[in-house]
Amino acid sequence: MSTRQQGTVLFTGILFLVATTVVIQLWLLTVSMEALLSGAMRTLLPAAAASSVLLFVNAGLLRYVFRFDRQIRSSK
Amino acid sequence: MNDQETYTACKQDKKWRDDFPIEWEGDNYVSRREMVKFLTLGSLFLAVANWLMAFAPRFLRRGSHNRQLLGLSDDLRRNGSALFRYPTAKDLCIAVRTSEGKLVAYSQVCTHLSCAVIYDKTEQSLFCPCHNGRFNLEHGAPIAGPPTRPLPRIRLEESDGRIYVTEREA
Repeated sequence: MSTRQQGTVLFTGILFLVATTVVIQLWLLTVSMEALLSGAMRTLLPAAAASSVLLFVNAGLLRYVFRFDRQIRSSK
Repeated sequence: MNDQETYTACKQDKKWRDDFPIEWEGDNYVSRREMVKFLTLGSLFLAVANWLMAFAPRFLRRGSHNRQLLGLSDDLRRNGSALFRYPTAKDLCIAVRTSEGKLVAYSQVCTHLSCAVIYDKTEQSLFCPCHNGRFNLEHGAPIAGPPTRPLPRIRLEESDGRIYVTEREA
């Protein structure tokens, strides 16, 4: 498998991972909205914290993508 | 002109190359990166929205504290109910004196689809006739039917033979 094909597979995997975490964040947002309307306030902070953790995961993956690109360009 | 000829023609057109400096083979490759960036930005917005929601209760108006005369204590007999509006003329409420003599009041607006709940004397509960929803009298909690959220409670105070409405809980 060529380097480009490996990169394509890698970035497809990263894309699906990021998309999955975004869907989980959307779900957390709807759960928070429901909790806010029903007065279950103790759910709100853990949901926000979990959403932040997922954001950091996404940011880490994006940083990996940028670093990967930089390495490829510098090696050419 | 087939695809290969179009590709060759576009490659030779310098102006087109300046506007779109991406090889056709790398087109999908770039899109994936753009998509990851876009999703991460969306992820940032969702996290911010979640934190805003976590701190929203601090800034929302919680309940109402205007003291208002509801009526005479004798007017509300055991196992009876009375309707009133609090804190504004648009907010329908229901006060109930249970068979044990306890005085409770809740918003009359069902938390399912906003129908008006009524007092069911035989079942000792608040009943929503639209979809057969039912709330208990102790806490206004849903006990049957489609409602999932409790009715907002209205605090009452009884003194000198009069009933006052003192607070609406959020």
